Amino acid sequence: MARVPFDTPEGLFHFADPEPDPAPVIAPRPAAVTETWSHPRGGARPGETVLITGIAGGQGRLIARRLANTFDLVGVDRHPWEGHPPGLRVLTVDIRKRKFEDVFRTERPTAVVHLAFIRHFRLGEELRHEINVLGTKRVLEYAIAHGVKRVVLLSSSYVYGAFPDNPYYMDEDSPLNVSRNYAEVRDLSEVDTLATAFLWRHPEVATTVLRPVSTLGYYVHSNMGRYLRGRYVPTIMGFNPMMQFIHEEDVAEAVALALQTGTHGVFNLTGPGAVPLKVAIHESGGTAVPFPETVARAVFSRLFRWGLYPTPPGAINFLKYPCTLDGRRFQQATGFAPLFSLEDVFASVRR
Amino acid sequence: MGMLRALYNSPAVGELQHEIDERMARIPTRLNAYGYDAWGFHTETAKRALTVTALLYRYWFRVETSGIERIPQGRCLLIGNHAGQVALDAAMIGAATFLEAEPPRIIRGMGEYWLPTVPFVNEIMVRTGSVVGTRKNCIDMLEQGECVIAFPEGVRGMNKLIWERYQLQEFGHGFMRLALETATPIVPIAVVGSEEQAPAIANLMPIARLLGMPAFPVTLTWPWLGPLGMVPLPVKYRIYFGEPMHFEGNPADEDDVIAEKVDQVKARIASMLADGLSARPSIFW
Repeated sequence: MARVPFDTPEGLFHFADPEPDPAPVIAPRPAAVTETWSHPRGGARPGETVLITGIAGGQGRLIARRLANTFDLVGVDRHPWEGHPPGLRVLTVDIRKRKFEDVFRTERPTAVVHLAFIRHFRLGEELRHEINVLGTKRVLEYAIAHGVKRVVLLSSSYVYGAFPDNPYYMDEDSPLNVSRNYAEVRDLSEVDTLATAFLWRHPEVATTVLRPVSTLGYYVHSNMGRYLRGRYVPTIMGFNPMMQFIHEEDVAEAVALALQTGTHGVFNLTGPGAVPLKVAIHESGGTAVPFPETVARAVFSRLFRWGLYPTPPGAINFLKYPCTLDGRRFQQATGFAPLFSLEDVFASVRR
Repeated sequence: MGMLRALYNSPAVGELQHEIDERMARIPTRLNAYGYDAWGFHTETAKRALTVTALLYRYWFRVETSGIERIPQGRCLLIGNHAGQVALDAAMIGAATFLEAEPPRIIRGMGEYWLPTVPFVNEIMVRTGSVVGTRKNCIDMLEQGECVIAFPEGVRGMNKLIWERYQLQEFGHGFMRLALETATPIVPIAVVGSEEQAPAIANLMPIARLLGMPAFPVTLTWPWLGPLGMVPLPVKYRIYFGEPMHFEGNPADEDDVIAEKVDQVKARIASMLADGLSARPSIFW
């Protein structure tokens, strides 16, 4: 299917107005490293066997539908996927169990798309750590042991953390700071670190680590989506950071592109642009309810402890400070351009 | 309060707002579908802020600007002297580039690192075009053809005492490295007047540290008169824009090499300041 972007991709910026920039062209940077972000092995060829972990989740289903016509798909998940499209095999397997390695032995995948992560906080820290960190470790070990040629892993933009001195448009070399003020998601930055270490240790495998910004959509259950779907949305008084969003279908497209172009590296994945938090709340049909920060921290840490609020208080930092990314590297490496505009993204979560 | 509202709704201000609307439509900064640029600048918020600064510009400080046509199109770095306890000099330069330059330009400030942590202030700062002053922010903005302002003296200049007025403090080197790296012309600026707007007689660093602020100045009116003590003296501002300076070299050179280039800028500003000071008839007119 041909994809026609609404706006022409202009690096970081997706503007309503496509007039050319009158600014003079900047002379090439001295000592610029000409980096290529593609693996010598090239992209996955049609018909290759692709294993998707966490296929029954919202993002997993979308990616499976996107890839089903091109590749021979096998999916594993802790939960069954009732009524999955014909032509792909979905196995109900826990990636922590021995049976998981059998999938590699019998199905012999040449590519793995690793999506089996728990990003919510309902099930406790231990399970999160087992699935996210230990699970990723196993997936990567089996990939090496069974001759997998390509790995795509969906990390997240949260790994950079939200801090007052964050530049807008952090690139992939920015430090992964999130555990400094949001310790509850340190397992996600550990996953990211595991994957990047794997990337350097095994240059023979084309590995892509994608760090998408807040993903919104009908199928995906992201923390940000849950937050924005509320009728009354708590915010921090006096703070209104810029935020970036991307549509779930664009994330699926990016995963497909990474697989098909054979990228090798760490990439931020940005969508159609940034707006202040309160614009996002308004556009998705909610009403912002500002709390003074001290009150918010006291109230929401207790509500979280008692199981009455889904997100730990560390998330408050993301309501105060920006965590906005520079997505140019992926756009240059693959030609990716988001298809869904900000209006579409907000419409997908509007109540 | 009522008086301020009456002033805001007066015909003279209405006319000013029309002028601001007209000029805002011509800024080269590009916006997304919601009226925000890539760094959170918002035209509607900026228009309100500019109404206030334009009133200060025309009626309180009665700013005289010369050489504004020297600001080049596209990216540039404005480098000026910094004084006056609150950054009104930046606001007046911003009003000048918006009201007098062709096309009108929004200047992009590089804020102190503590500003984003202050409630409400952080939002106003970002919506009116400034960002926290990191290297990456500055490079991104210059690459997009923005007009970035920096005060290499920082708080050293802004919070100096009255008997040190018009003595340029030590300049940071960061701006020069960025200018070299992005091949950006530097426009030197001398602001005459700002250094007398709030004559500080002391800077209480222990209190500043307690409040987590970079300085705690004591002036003739602050903190004695409370918030009223923050009202600056109605000094006469004169803003001089110099010829753009172009530098070439390796941005990663050692400090001595960079310092030599920084000193050229500093010397230019110092001589512009001296000219401005000798030309002015009085502090107040």
